Amino acid sequence: MGPVICDGMSHAEKGFLRNPSRKKEAVMRWKRFLSIVALVSAVGLGIGVCSMAQSNFMVQCPADNDGIDADGDGDPTNDIVCKHLTAGDGFATMADGTVMYTFGFSEVPEDVPPGQVFALRQVKAELPGPTIVLREGQELYLNLTNVGMINRPDLFDTHSVHWHGIPNSGSIFDGLPESAPTVKIGATFPYYYATLGKEGTYFYHCHVEVTEHMQMGMIGQIYVLPRQDQDMVLRSSGNPPYAGFAYNDGDGSTGYHVSKAIQLAGFDSRFHAQHIAIQNLPFAQLKDDYHLMNGRGYPDTINPNLLGASPENNGHFSQRMDARIQARQGERVLLRVHNISTTHLFTVRVLGIPMKVVGIDGKLLRNGSKDLLYETSSLTIGGGQAADLLLDTTGVPPGTYFFYTTNLSELINGQEERGGIMTEIVVCPASGCGT
Amino acid sequence: MRKSRWFGLALGAWAMLEMTTAAWTQAKIIGVEGTSFDLVARQDRITLGDGDSMLMWGFALGEGRMQYPGPTLILRQGDTVTVTLRNSLPREAGNVSIVFPGHEVTASGGVEGVLTREAPPDNTTVVTYTFTATRPGTYVYHSGTRPDLQVEMGLVGVIVVRPANPTPTPDCPPVPQGHNEAPPRSLCAGTKFAYDHPDTAYDREFLILMTDMDPRVHRLVEFGRIKEIDTTNFFQTVWFANGRNFPDTIANAQVPWLPTQPYNALFLMHPGERLLVRMATLGRDPHPLHFHGNHVRVIAKDGVLLSSGLGAGPDLSYERYTVVVNPCETVDAIYTWTGALMGWDIYGHAPGDPLAPYEFIGDHGANFPVILPSRDDVKFGQLYSGSPFLGGEGFLPPEHAGLNVGGGFFYMWHSHTEKELTNNNVFPGGLITFLGVVPWNVPLESE
Repeated sequence: MGPVICDGMSHAEKGFLRNPSRKKEAVMRWKRFLSIVALVSAVGLGIGVCSMAQSNFMVQCPADNDGIDADGDGDPTNDIVCKHLTAGDGFATMADGTVMYTFGFSEVPEDVPPGQVFALRQVKAELPGPTIVLREGQELYLNLTNVGMINRPDLFDTHSVHWHGIPNSGSIFDGLPESAPTVKIGATFPYYYATLGKEGTYFYHCHVEVTEHMQMGMIGQIYVLPRQDQDMVLRSSGNPPYAGFAYNDGDGSTGYHVSKAIQLAGFDSRFHAQHIAIQNLPFAQLKDDYHLMNGRGYPDTINPNLLGASPENNGHFSQRMDARIQARQGERVLLRVHNISTTHLFTVRVLGIPMKVVGIDGKLLRNGSKDLLYETSSLTIGGGQAADLLLDTTGVPPGTYFFYTTNLSELINGQEERGGIMTEIVVCPASGCGT
Repeated sequence: MRKSRWFGLALGAWAMLEMTTAAWTQAKIIGVEGTSFDLVARQDRITLGDGDSMLMWGFALGEGRMQYPGPTLILRQGDTVTVTLRNSLPREAGNVSIVFPGHEVTASGGVEGVLTREAPPDNTTVVTYTFTATRPGTYVYHSGTRPDLQVEMGLVGVIVVRPANPTPTPDCPPVPQGHNEAPPRSLCAGTKFAYDHPDTAYDREFLILMTDMDPRVHRLVEFGRIKEIDTTNFFQTVWFANGRNFPDTIANAQVPWLPTQPYNALFLMHPGERLLVRMATLGRDPHPLHFHGNHVRVIAKDGVLLSSGLGAGPDLSYERYTVVVNPCETVDAIYTWTGALMGWDIYGHAPGDPLAPYEFIGDHGANFPVILPSRDDVKFGQLYSGSPFLGGEGFLPPEHAGLNVGGGFFYMWHSHTEKELTNNNVFPGGLITFLGVVPWNVPLESE
């Protein structure tokens, strides 16, 4: 191996790497570039050390030129999905104004020059991490770059991606620090997942120091749209036609018009305060006092704006996802809900709209020919569980309905009540939602 | 980042070394079989994963030492079972009894208690419990006297009832569609049944009893301040799988350095085998047990098959990647793993190579999809073989413990209430254990 060269990709090359539909002759292309300057400057040395650096990373993304339409959407060139996520730190703002130190994932935007990933993508952790949506049959190349926790320069943690629940995983891509390599600061690890036969609702998180890193916010959503979404006949069996299905049900029973992925999580404010203060972490006393839907407590859950741009976070928006749900009367709403709290089980409920459980843990509720779908008004979801809830607004009077936890102590933002895990479902008249 | 983590991992490394030198044995349910059991409630100590020593009350078998959890009683469906109980606990512990949820019990001897007959702490009085194991399944037993305190103190155990039918056979597991054939029958563990139905077949079985602890309670007992215990405000900070905290969970069973915690919780299997996972919880908290590697199919709860009617088998079973087991609940599930549909050949085969047993044919010879980063860029886990392939091996950097000698794929099975992955403020620990999927050329003990 020759000396490490301080080179970066050109924009054009990066465009290729990030855009799988652009064909190149090479099946596998990668480039390395240097990425340690920002870290060094952050710890106060303030000098670039390209020639010293041993850490480098490559973003892997082969072209889809096999001519096979693996996801069945009619386009044989879009079956490879490439993501470039960073793992690092940042700050999130709770609904009561409390700013909390976080770890998290974020996606590297197209316009970030490759040599600048490390410098420009630090302190960009998002809560939750970017949502990854795949079509069944697609392959995912997930490149994870560890940009370090710049506000905790004493830490040298590795990071990983654990696709929680994916069937028949291989340990090399399972993200366990015990049974796989995990990526150091300034380097990139490529994760690969095939999705055939794996449609359903999942999520991902870092599995390194897992209690700490999950509590700190290294959590994101991932789900696989079923192949059945390409069945236009079945889709047109809905009235109006379905936008898609939760699963390959064969009969349209999981068809929906509107879908929303909702992550239930929580923060223990003392844990986060101790963390940024570089104090011992109170694992034994862990108990979340901020309960979150898509990284926000009510009423931020219904705020359509980007949030989290605190001075601590250098004005960067870290909470980019709301939890608002809007549907026209007569439409079916699919809620993909999972719980990734490190301390709580949540019981969720919708008042006024019939709710059917169609899937749990990424599986259609059906055993052979036996249907196990059921209607309920509440469901308890433990940490590490997911549920697909189908809400039918047929005959539901237009108005605002609530999706919330029935555990009253979880309807809080710290000391503030009427917060936490609650969001609004707006049912509009069948004619439309207006402006 | 906790400085004490490395202490824990060092322990784990030691444990794994022990395991590997023992040729991958001791991944099975260890218990006592029979129809007559002589239990004695005794006080003793256990060792926590952080090195702490904790006073416990627990069940002992006859004149043996107290153990946590109590002896796993392995019964046969239809047998009439007698359990006798004597109370050797200190006087301040008060009376002790046993309740057997899911069984119709007749109790005699001792003194009348709220739930059942009790043994006073005189080391003499004998209480006799008799019941017939009418239904197969997984059950728990625990103290029925002041269970708010005595379950916390360790008076818990598990009962396994094996079905009278069907009869086990020496068969290999069936080959799922699209997979290569089974190995010679002599390599297979044999087919057993969890319930009275062929759809409950399994090849290996494992047990995980999940419990929790508030150490303050044990210290108050130890310091003679039992009257100060308020059982309404427990705050659990230690979590156990089969009476041990990680990393002790993956050490061998019956090791001399854990004399009162004889059971481990290490799971091992070959690709294509069916694991019967018997889950149980006793204590304060529900535990969402998350299975890495694949879903489990839940076939029974509380010893009752998830069935729509007699003879229908587990037709109401369902798949989960996380199973919440509530206190005093048991769940039986079947787990299997072949690596199907991964998109690359997990054995690293070239297209012309022979297929491994139960290999997914569709991925045979398919290239490994990525270029792994250089060793400088990553940190290797202790259970990483150095190769991404099942049965593979590769260069391991200096300081790596090299614990994965068979090239297995190791999957963490753990509580997804992640705070439970600690030992009284020390990460990692608590409710963590591992499943190792090892290639067929690594022999596993037959059951």
